[in-house]
Amino acid sequence: MQFLHSSDWQIGMKAESVGRTAERVREERLEAAKRVVQAARDNGAEMVFLSGDVFEDNAVDRLLVRKVGEILRAFPGPVYIIPGNHDPLVPGSVWEHSVWKDAANITVLSKSEPVELDQCILFPCPLHEKYSTKNPTAWIDAKNVTKPAIGLAHGNVEGIPNGEPDYPIPRDAANRLGLDYLALGHWHSFARYDTGDGVCRMAYAGTHETTKFGERDSGNVVVVEIAHHGTPPKLTPVKTGRLDWRTVERTVDQPQSLEAVIEELGRLDPPDATLVRVIIGGVLFPEDRHALVRIEELLASRFLFGSLDTSALIPAPDGEGWIESLASGSFREAAVKLRSQAAQSANPAERAVATHALLQLFELYERSRA
Amino acid sequence: MILHSLSVANWRSLLNPVELGPFSDRLNVIHAPNGTGKSSLFEAMRRALFDAHHVSGEEIGAVRPWGRSLAPQVKVEFTQSGVRYRVEKTFLDGASARLFRFEEGKFRPLADSRNADSKLREIIAASDAPGRGLSKHEHWGLSEVLWAPQGALHLDSLSSSVTENLRAALGVQLTGERGSRLEELLEERYQTYFTKGGKPRTGKQAAPILALESAHAAAVVERQQQLEQQQRFEETSRAVEDARQKRGQARIEANALRDTVAQTSKQAETYQQLQSELEQKRLTEQAAKDRFDAIGKSLELIGHTREEITELEAKISNSGTLVTELATELNNTAKAAEDARRKRDESRRQRSSLVQSTAAVEDAQAFVEDNKAHQALAVRIEKLRRFEADLRQSKEKRTALVAPDDKTIQAVRKHLTALEKAQAALRASLIHLTVKPDKKTKIHQRSPNESQTVAAGKAATFSGSPEVTIEIEGFGTIHASGPEGDAEANAEALREAGSKLTKLTQPYGTQDPDRLQLLREQAEELDRNIRQLEEQISEVLDEDSADDLNQRAAELDARIRERLGRFPTWEKQPPTVSDLKSALEKQRKTIEATIETAEDEYDKAQFAARAVEKRHGKADEELKNARLNLEAAQERLKDLTKDGQSDAARASARQEALMAWEAAKTRAKECEAKLNEIPGDPQKDLQKLGRQLKALEEAETQARDEENQAEGRLQTLAAEGVYSKLAACEETLADLKSRIQRERLRMDATKLLYDTVTSCKAAIVAAVAAPVERTATHMLNRIAGPRLGTVRLTENFVPVGVRPEIAPEPVELTNLSGGEQEQLFLIIRLALGQVLAKEERQLVVLDDVLNATDTGRLARVLNLLEECADRLQIVILTCHPERYRGLDEAKFFDLQPLCN
Repeated sequence: MQFLHSSDWQIGMKAESVGRTAERVREERLEAAKRVVQAARDNGAEMVFLSGDVFEDNAVDRLLVRKVGEILRAFPGPVYIIPGNHDPLVPGSVWEHSVWKDAANITVLSKSEPVELDQCILFPCPLHEKYSTKNPTAWIDAKNVTKPAIGLAHGNVEGIPNGEPDYPIPRDAANRLGLDYLALGHWHSFARYDTGDGVCRMAYAGTHETTKFGERDSGNVVVVEIAHHGTPPKLTPVKTGRLDWRTVERTVDQPQSLEAVIEELGRLDPPDATLVRVIIGGVLFPEDRHALVRIEELLASRFLFGSLDTSALIPAPDGEGWIESLASGSFREAAVKLRSQAAQSANPAERAVATHALLQLFELYERSRA
Repeated sequence: MILHSLSVANWRSLLNPVELGPFSDRLNVIHAPNGTGKSSLFEAMRRALFDAHHVSGEEIGAVRPWGRSLAPQVKVEFTQSGVRYRVEKTFLDGASARLFRFEEGKFRPLADSRNADSKLREIIAASDAPGRGLSKHEHWGLSEVLWAPQGALHLDSLSSSVTENLRAALGVQLTGERGSRLEELLEERYQTYFTKGGKPRTGKQAAPILALESAHAAAVVERQQQLEQQQRFEETSRAVEDARQKRGQARIEANALRDTVAQTSKQAETYQQLQSELEQKRLTEQAAKDRFDAIGKSLELIGHTREEITELEAKISNSGTLVTELATELNNTAKAAEDARRKRDESRRQRSSLVQSTAAVEDAQAFVEDNKAHQALAVRIEKLRRFEADLRQSKEKRTALVAPDDKTIQAVRKHLTALEKAQAALRASLIHLTVKPDKKTKIHQRSPNESQTVAAGKAATFSGSPEVTIEIEGFGTIHASGPEGDAEANAEALREAGSKLTKLTQPYGTQDPDRLQLLREQAEELDRNIRQLEEQISEVLDEDSADDLNQRAAELDARIRERLGRFPTWEKQPPTVSDLKSALEKQRKTIEATIETAEDEYDKAQFAARAVEKRHGKADEELKNARLNLEAAQERLKDLTKDGQSDAARASARQEALMAWEAAKTRAKECEAKLNEIPGDPQKDLQKLGRQLKALEEAETQARDEENQAEGRLQTLAAEGVYSKLAACEETLADLKSRIQRERLRMDATKLLYDTVTSCKAAIVAAVAAPVERTATHMLNRIAGPRLGTVRLTENFVPVGVRPEIAPEPVELTNLSGGEQEQLFLIIRLALGQVLAKEERQLVVLDDVLNATDTGRLARVLNLLEECADRLQIVILTCHPERYRGLDEAKFFDLQPLCN
């Protein structure tokens, strides 16, 4: 048998870090959901398993619920969903929406009890509250089954640094419970848990579309193939994410280093699906000031979203530079003073303000010469 | 700039051409009386140097000489930057300008007309004057500092070019070559965000951050609302869950209770049947018991009634005997009582003899008392008669005696004194003529007309008033006279006093006061006797009258005589009352003892008769009752035995009833034992369980209602998509926060830049102004002493005050005296002039200054001017040349002869 494993769609999530691009990011998650269905079709999946957190919250806009329902309804095979900790099965949850009843191929698994299908037996572990220290898979006993035993669970595999235990799942849960495959949800990056012999019987599919900067291996689904009960499953990650969340972090210590950043930004493609966060620290040389302005312009105009963080940037010691070209007097003395403050103040916020003040003086100076 | 000469014509009061020069390049004093045209010279020089020749308007028109159509002309010769120039200008009619430069020993034309104007300004570094109007002091270039027009010595402000020149001359640059532009741009940037006071701009041109912060505040409020909605959603979800739990639990409990109710109901039915059965058996048992009791009671009553009849028959027999005996006793006691009553009545009749004896004793006692009263009354009547006779006698004597009272006696004494005084005064007022003849001589006095003969050697005195005239025989007439009037008045007073005395004493027959006093004492003695007698009479009468006493005496006498009529023996021997009383008392005691004994006897007999009567009545009554009771008992017995059965038959029936009762009791106990096997009262338990079940069903219904309501609310909240709204709101908030941070950084950077530049500038300015302040302070101390301390200048070299060493705060200029103010402004102009004259000597013009400076300080100012002349050419215009004569090296120009 062959099925598609996905999770953590987080439909309706908020994207505070991208400002006014947030709405677009949300829309992209729905588009990615369509690509998941398409991937299932393309890869011959007989059914689709969604291991929780399809929605960011139970109070998301009901229109989004309807849209997700319609997207899944388009899949020709059955779709099995368990509620996760973001969308637990509680009164008023998204799972009470009529779309789930309307769509004949979708089953929201609401009880922790085996569900026998033609091809396999499902062991679903739906969540009924946001937090718990209970192992959601503890009830499963698949040792005596004859069909492929597939577990669907949402939680933290032990060993993942997560502070307080929250829906803990043992690292050897699949083997211990007799499952052929445990389809996990909760973490947004693809992660597999191989046994000593290199067989993988449990994995996080990760989110189908990256949710923020810094996610390691997100934007995938997993196509799983199991010949029959007891045989090792074959896992194939398939890319479904479209947005590229790119962080460009550079520490400048040589003049004209920012040109490389500009070039790198120029290579990012497609720009309309790329969100860029540029962090520049180090020393700002006078001749690079224009490059900094160009970076700002590029970020504002070229990409879906761009941000520039120069709070760790300080002006370079400017021996023969533009400050010396200022006539002796109050401006030159002020520039020297600001440069010293930007480089030597113990307070990072004060350094940033002094740096910007110096940049402003430079800009005004340039204008006065024009 | 050094001024060499100045020529003026047709300029205000200077009608004729006036030419002054050559000037000394150190000190010059141009003097003339008021109205001569000193200030006009200064004005003409300024117009020549700074104004365009073609200016028009009222102001330039005013310099034309009054009432004449002459064109004002001026010619100035000067040296600037080592080059000598001459400018010639004509204003108004035929306006023209020509500029010459001294070349190769003579002046050669350099420019004319407008070119001359502009070239000249360029040479002296003056800024352009406005088109048609005249130049103001801000257009004078350095002369704004160096030239002080009349009445305008003070320095309120300096143009920026002069300030820059001063700073340049001091070797300091504030903003650099392009500093002004940079400064403008910075100012422009700063004012994008802040007011000049440093506060964020508001209103139409508000700093962008304000709009962002406002939007942020609104977003915060909205986020809070959405957050509350989200929490409400989650709480409602929990409420639904709780209600479902509650309803499920209520349903489980109700179902469990329903089973209990069914079991209890069955048990209650059994219990009820047993209860009913027991009740029936108890009734049967009670009926058997009642029958047994009834038979036993009947037997008992028959026995008791028979005994009662026997007792009553015996009692009736005894009572009949007793009644007969008591009847006999009753007759005997009644007779004895009657005898006792008769004896008692007889003894009571003896009391009448006591009444007569008592009356005799009372008469005897009254007789003795009346006799005693009659004797006392006779004594009082005798005393009364004697006192009344004495009183009549004393009153007659008193009536006969006329005596004055004390007041009259005092008046007599007073008038006697007045009489004596009048006599003495009369004697004193008369003329007394005493004649003592040697021989017997007859002397005749004319008034009064009398004569007397005076023996030899005897003195004879003749008195009179107002004169005394005597005729002496053989001698003649002697007439003596004295003052008139006094003697007559004294005689009148004497008469009046005598008259009053006579009038007062006439009733008493004497004017001798001692005798009058004696009369007074005699009258008082009589009055005392009368009062004493009256008191004695009153005491004898003791509120009675004499008639009362007499009448009472008559009554007593009548009563005495009446008793003597009844008891004649008392005439000779009056009765002894005590003896009579003793005899009477003895008789009374004897009679009362007899009566008491008789009464006691009677009471005893009476009591005994009544007791017997009572016992007889009671015995008779008992006899009657016993007979009635016997009849009743006999009737009852008859009724009890009417069944006709024998006593044995009745005993047998009683035994049968006892056995039936025992059997019923056993059956009832068996039923009760079964009932006791059931614990409690199932009926009551059933009622309680019914109520519990009802409460659980109601709780279930209520939980269902709550669940429905909560679900309704939850669906409403879910339909709102509150999380999506919250997410959008928080994204907006994050975006605004980011933009505010950027804007804040931009603003903070601008402010930091502005503040840093400003503080650097302030530090530089402080350094720039310091040398000028030091020079000015030094000059001021030389003129006014150290009292005023140091001079304070603004960054634009305008004085703002002084800082005395003893004062904690600077003192403003307005707080200085008028003289000190003009001295301060003068030295600041001189100090600034010295700064400007570092590279080239400069012309200083002082028009009518130092008018408020005293002579002492003026001398010190003149010393200062001489020292300043090393660097400055100084031209002083004044109407008091004598004040400047101390300037040894000064060149004086008297304007007045030149004008004439």
